[in-house]
Amino acid sequence: MLQIKNLHARVGDKEILKGLTLTVNAGEVHAIMGPNGTGKSTLASIIAGKEEYEVTAGEVTFNGKNILEMSADERAREGVFLAFQYPVEIPGVSTTNFMKAAVNAKRKHQGLEPIVAKDFLKMMNEKRQLVELDKSYLSRSINEGFSGGEKKRNEIFQMAMLDPMLSIMDETDSGLDIDALRIVADGVNKLKTKDNAFLIITHYQRLLNYIVPDFVHVMYDGRIVKTGDKNLALKMEERGYDWIKEEVGA
Amino acid sequence: MAFTDNIESAFETIGKDNLSEVRKTALENFKTLGIPSARHEEWKYTNIKTKLKENLKLVASAESQVAGKAKINVFKAIEGTKLVFINGYFSPAQSTITPQSGVVSGSLKELRSQYTEVFAKYFNKATDSTTENFAALNTAFAQDGAFIYIQKNIKATQPIFIINVYDAASSDVFTQTRNLIVAEDGAEVNIVEDFQNTGGEKTYNHVAEIFIGKNAEVNYTYLQIENKQTTSINSIEAKLEKDARYHISTLTFEGQTVRNNVNAYMEGENAIATLNGLYLGKETAHIDSHILVDHRVPHCDSHQVYKGVLDDESTGVFNGKIFVRKDAQKTNAFQSSKAILLSEDASVNSKPQLEIFADDVKCSHGAAIGQINKNELFYLRARGIDEATARGILTYAYGSSIIDAITLPELKDYLYTKLKERLNIAF
Repeated sequence: MLQIKNLHARVGDKEILKGLTLTVNAGEVHAIMGPNGTGKSTLASIIAGKEEYEVTAGEVTFNGKNILEMSADERAREGVFLAFQYPVEIPGVSTTNFMKAAVNAKRKHQGLEPIVAKDFLKMMNEKRQLVELDKSYLSRSINEGFSGGEKKRNEIFQMAMLDPMLSIMDETDSGLDIDALRIVADGVNKLKTKDNAFLIITHYQRLLNYIVPDFVHVMYDGRIVKTGDKNLALKMEERGYDWIKEEVGA
Repeated sequence: MAFTDNIESAFETIGKDNLSEVRKTALENFKTLGIPSARHEEWKYTNIKTKLKENLKLVASAESQVAGKAKINVFKAIEGTKLVFINGYFSPAQSTITPQSGVVSGSLKELRSQYTEVFAKYFNKATDSTTENFAALNTAFAQDGAFIYIQKNIKATQPIFIINVYDAASSDVFTQTRNLIVAEDGAEVNIVEDFQNTGGEKTYNHVAEIFIGKNAEVNYTYLQIENKQTTSINSIEAKLEKDARYHISTLTFEGQTVRNNVNAYMEGENAIATLNGLYLGKETAHIDSHILVDHRVPHCDSHQVYKGVLDDESTGVFNGKIFVRKDAQKTNAFQSSKAILLSEDASVNSKPQLEIFADDVKCSHGAAIGQINKNELFYLRARGIDEATARGILTYAYGSSIIDAITLPELKDYLYTKLKERLNIAF
């Protein structure tokens, strides 16, 4: 589904990704761990299409298409979803209206008519319950005045509404208490199918107790330096990142 | 200008009535004042001389302005009195007046001889024909417009709509229309004034005088929504007495050249004025909001929020003057002016002006000019919404707060829909 080959990218003069290679297939959950500043969030932003980054080498294909040539919104319509580390507050636009515009943008891309109001409301109701989001939040401005946990639950709600093929979760666990973490993880687990895939970017192993990854990658200095199964995450938690640095010879 | 050359002969064609004396004085004033050039401080950013067409004429004959057959919006979905003016003249056939005791509304041309005392007391008392060029011209030539008179302690139960429609028949006429609105002590009224251009190019000069008595309330919504080829000068001048409440919202979604003078004179203690505006320019539109709040007495509050959105090569002007006179202690005056520029060729001139002569006042103002927030834009696009729509949604979010503050619920719904249409978004 997602193939990244030898990806190099920079922001301004600073090179952040230095030859990253990764393959994600349908039905898989991948976790990317690593110390701060190694390029994890940059990777998420580049896949999602944030424009500040300049790709200097390598390629990223999604279902065989070169997504580096697509705008962020085209990628989303193709089925890429980024759950933001810091979801943006937008006063004046309700989550309901936002989701109506997003769902219809995707439907239009698929050659479908705009969703019927009744079906849309039913869908909203169903999906918000996945993350125990109260109905009242949907008529409020996007993320405005939401707590950290509510914002993250809103991200997973949006994920559920848009039913993406590839979901990238950028440090979704940061700032979550244990209850919110459980709600978010349960939501994600219910969305998992054999046809979609997840890329979970996290600093800690904690979230991976709830969402069990098929692969764990350790990122360091702009590359993936180690790949293993879920046990690698436990090892990271236990031993920290220093041994990786030594092993890489940094 | 061509129309100023034969101004005397045009003036001759107006019949005599109880306003003839005021008119004559105004004509003399206008002859002295003339059309302001860009050297005039108040017209520095709007060179009106170059915006008025050469072939404009001042016509004072109603008969030449036969109503067109164009489809007009009479706000059918909203209950209320509808006063329809076609090319500047009252159209009884298209108007519907809901009768209510103590509420007078209709054509100024028809009612001025019936309410002579009211006209003697108020007409031309809010504008200053000795200094305001276009107010003088208007006073000299305006024949018709809306007259709304709410008598003491009467609350108008339904809103009153003033619907001004211009069609191709009036495109070479520099139309002068005049409203007189009087809310006596304790009276309350909601007024919606709308301008629609169904023909080609149109130029008009409109003056609305509003008098708000003690403890009276006037809510005024001024709409310039379908006016693509319109060049207009609008002066909305309100005088507030003790404990009066005034809320005006000006919404400009279209227009070639639009000048809005919105003046509020605080003449009685504890009066409250709220002046809001939302203006959207595209292509080569030029929209100039000239706001004046004159605090003449102590203990009054004024609150201004203006928001602009300028796209393509459009230009905007915000000139907001707050005057606090020496006696106007304990004044509370707030002003916020914001504009977002959607294109590199769009521009705005923002000039807040505070002139404070009292020493115990609370005044604040803020001006900001910016672009659409990049993080917000990316957030919407990351959900599959294309860039143009995402910009539309964010512009809607920014502008709709001005509509939020309008009191009539059905009108708000109409305006939200119109704003979405204007920004090409649907949800």
